[in-house]
Amino acid sequence: MSHWSDTLPVPSGQRRDQVPRDHSIYLQLLEITLYLRQAMREHFVQLMSRQGLSLEERRHTQAIREKEALLSCLIRRMINLLQSEAASDLELQVPLPSEDSRGDVKYGQRDQLSGQPDPVPQLSDCEAAFVSRDLSNRGIDISVFYQSSFQDYNAYQKDKYHKDKNTLGFINLGTSENKLCMDLMTERLQERDMNCIEDALLQYPDWRGQPFLREEVARFLTYYCRAPTRLDPENVVVLNGCCSVFSALAMVLCDPGEAFLVPAPFYGGFAFSSRLYAKVELIPVYLESEVTVTNTQPFQLTVDKLEEALLEARLEGKKVRGLVLINPQNPVGDIYSPDSLMKYLEFAKRHNLHVIIDEIYMLSVFDESITFHSVLSMKSLPDRNRTHVIWGTSKDFGISGFRFGALYTHNKEVVSAVSAFGYLHSISGIVQHKLCQLLHNTEWIDKVYLPTNCYRLREAHKYITAKLKALEIPFHNSSSGLYVWINLKKYLDPCTFEEERLLYCRFLDNKLLLSRGKAYMCKEPGWFCLIFADELPRLKLAMRRFCDVLQEQKEALIVKQLEDAMRE
Amino acid sequence: MFTLPQKDFSAPTTCLGPTCMQDLGSSHGDDLEGECSRKLDQKLPELPGVGDPAMLSSDTSYLSSRGRMIKWFWDSAEEGYRTYHMDEYDENKNPSGIINLGVSENKLCFDLLSWRLSQSDIQRVEPSLLQYADWRGHLFLREEVAKFLSFYCKSPAPLRPENVVVLNGGASLFSALATVLCEAGEAFLIPTPYYGAITQHVCLYGNVRLAYVYLDSEVTGLDTRPFQLTVEKLETALREAHSEGVKVKGLILINPQNPLGDIYSPEELQEYLVFAKRHKLHVIVDEVYMLSVFEESVGYRSVLSLERLPDPQRTHVMWATSKDFGMSGVRFGTLYTENQDVATAVASLCRYHGLSGLVQYQMAQLLRDRDWINQVYLPENHARLKAAHTYVSEELRALGIPFLSRGAGFFIWVDLRKYLPKGTFEEEMLLWRRFLDNKVLLSFGKAFECKEPGWFRFVFSDQAHRLCLGMQRVRQVLAGKSQVAEDPPPSQSQEPSDQRR
Repeated sequence: MSHWSDTLPVPSGQRRDQVPRDHSIYLQLLEITLYLRQAMREHFVQLMSRQGLSLEERRHTQAIREKEALLSCLIRRMINLLQSEAASDLELQVPLPSEDSRGDVKYGQRDQLSGQPDPVPQLSDCEAAFVSRDLSNRGIDISVFYQSSFQDYNAYQKDKYHKDKNTLGFINLGTSENKLCMDLMTERLQERDMNCIEDALLQYPDWRGQPFLREEVARFLTYYCRAPTRLDPENVVVLNGCCSVFSALAMVLCDPGEAFLVPAPFYGGFAFSSRLYAKVELIPVYLESEVTVTNTQPFQLTVDKLEEALLEARLEGKKVRGLVLINPQNPVGDIYSPDSLMKYLEFAKRHNLHVIIDEIYMLSVFDESITFHSVLSMKSLPDRNRTHVIWGTSKDFGISGFRFGALYTHNKEVVSAVSAFGYLHSISGIVQHKLCQLLHNTEWIDKVYLPTNCYRLREAHKYITAKLKALEIPFHNSSSGLYVWINLKKYLDPCTFEEERLLYCRFLDNKLLLSRGKAYMCKEPGWFCLIFADELPRLKLAMRRFCDVLQEQKEALIVKQLEDAMRE
Repeated sequence: MFTLPQKDFSAPTTCLGPTCMQDLGSSHGDDLEGECSRKLDQKLPELPGVGDPAMLSSDTSYLSSRGRMIKWFWDSAEEGYRTYHMDEYDENKNPSGIINLGVSENKLCFDLLSWRLSQSDIQRVEPSLLQYADWRGHLFLREEVAKFLSFYCKSPAPLRPENVVVLNGGASLFSALATVLCEAGEAFLIPTPYYGAITQHVCLYGNVRLAYVYLDSEVTGLDTRPFQLTVEKLETALREAHSEGVKVKGLILINPQNPLGDIYSPEELQEYLVFAKRHKLHVIVDEVYMLSVFEESVGYRSVLSLERLPDPQRTHVMWATSKDFGMSGVRFGTLYTENQDVATAVASLCRYHGLSGLVQYQMAQLLRDRDWINQVYLPENHARLKAAHTYVSEELRALGIPFLSRGAGFFIWVDLRKYLPKGTFEEEMLLWRRFLDNKVLLSFGKAFECKEPGWFRFVFSDQAHRLCLGMQRVRQVLAGKSQVAEDPPPSQSQEPSDQRR
């Protein structure tokens, strides 16, 4: 989690220079450290081997893991530093001890949330990165974190399923992309109005976004969010993606080490953003699947839970600056009612918290009986200067490759500060023109695109959920987004995150990429996110692979249970 | 360069950044950062008012302390920008509007470019371009970039696509490199005068500073030309930074240089690289003007053309289409480095600095079209640059104004010192303001951290009619100079930038 990189002692140049440059000492130290690490690993293996099943014990194991990860991280830094010192003298003549293939990167990563699933064991690339002498510590962190998070995704990119050319390739139901309307989008984007090369588009833009695009975004949001009054283009900043918007917001609302509350499970991409650049911690407000007296729905967010999480964070000395809400929720797929939304906003106002609301799936609500209420549709916001809305075209229009995200906020200070990031997150003028044309054509959106998209999403959803029902797999989400949140607990024995990871790997071995609950910071092991917004033939094949894995898993479980029974 | 319009006429931000950061930064978690910045800041004397906490008061702000610093960056830049944008010159609609000779953009070849970019081969749309892709950039583009750079940089061996990372412009590249090569509070050496926006690029996310290698206009000692960079000066600057407790991680070179229009010879380059190697410094070589060398006799050499790099693992080259293809609005920049760790680390940040798949396709098509580039675009572009350059330099000669320019880039570095009675930066600012009042926008030396007050950068890569009008307005100001100087300038109090001084 991000606090490591902020609170751990970073080697100081000055201090390092004061140490006599005796490299033999470094080598000795390096050796000792490697011993130390080996001992530590063995110790932890012993500790973990008596894994209990009770909740208490599981929590305990979790705590051990966290400590282990922390120690690993510390030692990694020591080794890194020592290696660089030792090597700088010896010009790498001595074969410096290197990480074994199940190195501590994995430990370091295990408890971190990420946008993508956790790594499978071989991490040779990461290792290479973190023994680098050329990167800063944070550069190493970034590199390792990214590589481990995206390793499987990259494997998929290199070995994609293709119905003729690569029938054994990976199918990706783990990345939230809408691939159902590529035909409509490609057609639309080839129309004449899309191609325009004007001088102004080739010159330096207004860094907040071209005025024509900001106007269009304001108009678009006014219409689709049903804003009571016209939204103001001056309150819009456009950047190259929602993660960029989030990253910029985290930078300007928090100082390093400060935190946002986020109901968990939640979309892991934000964790990535806040960690890589902004060094802002995301504190999960854990939600539970179990329905109780107070928890009338699974994974229900209540003000009590928010209050509790805030209090706890403050007791731990953390400075909480805001609350992040995703609506429609990713991955659970819930849509907040105007009442509950209001309660969350009032909670935030009570505590002077900013609220960042990500509404990136707002047009992907495919159940007609359900109405989505954007926060921008509210007559009056409890604290409009602290309410910041994010939207983008990646999901609702299925064009993640376009790189477009927009911020809407009434707070002029925030507008200015985020605009400063326009240099670093700018969008090509040519693309800004296309986006403007796309958003402008409300008729096409209303009459062609949205009905088709919703219909296709609904059909794909119907297919997937029928399959899941047949397999008796519990799931959430019946109305929005591109995903279902499924419960595979019954395939885990014992029900631990380690088993969850192993199951994930089994899917991967069968060339099926899914996202697991841990990546969404879910508190309970066994949940997976399954993206269904894909074409039916691929989806069918994916589900076949899915069923195969679960069948095998089931058989293995039965064998195991039999063995256990025999032993007793 | 990737000139940010604002930056160019908002000098103070460049030099104030760190000071400001320190005032706000004391509450940051990492003590080391604070320490470094404080030491560095002692070196930045003048600038009253900036450290004034009232200006950045936190009581009423919704922002974090770094957020306030970032906003301040934006606001101070924004003011000059607004002045220009509210009153932009237009031949028909606003003939008395401001002529912009301050922003380094090439406006001479829009006809050629818009023709090329409208061709049907470029307008491809296919699903893979609309979806998430390799964050380093689509392979087809990286391959094309590698081929392109091999050819135009005249590399001894073909460059490799895996050493290429593609992002949305040079600004992002500076930001990403600063973040992955330096810890917060560490620094890069940079010879001044330099393209000032880099300060902000490396500071925003990276919290990395610049340690200046000040160059003089006077030719002394072994120097053969004004503002000459020598290893001796690099050594001195590095020593000074160390003695102040600033940890220097690298050296930034801009070649062809901005704003001097100067070019480093292969021998000089080699010396700087050897210096860097000696001190284990990374070298970021920004070659964004490499194809804008319009004087053939100059003999420009890219660092990628060197037979053997002293420290290839620490040499990182930047290029972009903003200048050489006059498309600063397209936002396409690229890194070439043999260091896979650096390439990977920068790519890890590309999620935040990615460019649209459609644009990646267009850039690949453009760079691939060697015939058009060689036979149409480059000759024409160079001819037009040369003509515009000749015009402005003739004008300056006629006025008896000294200037520097060696036949590269879009600008001339002009010595207006004789128009400043006392030779202070305040006077430089006033003169700049007088130009703006007379509706011509220039960039003043302080924006480039020039040590000597009185230097200005004139951008000449604009259409003839605008250029003529711009120069006419410049002449008016300089001719009226003596009168204005005797009277107290009336506009002084409403100086938009006074808070920054």
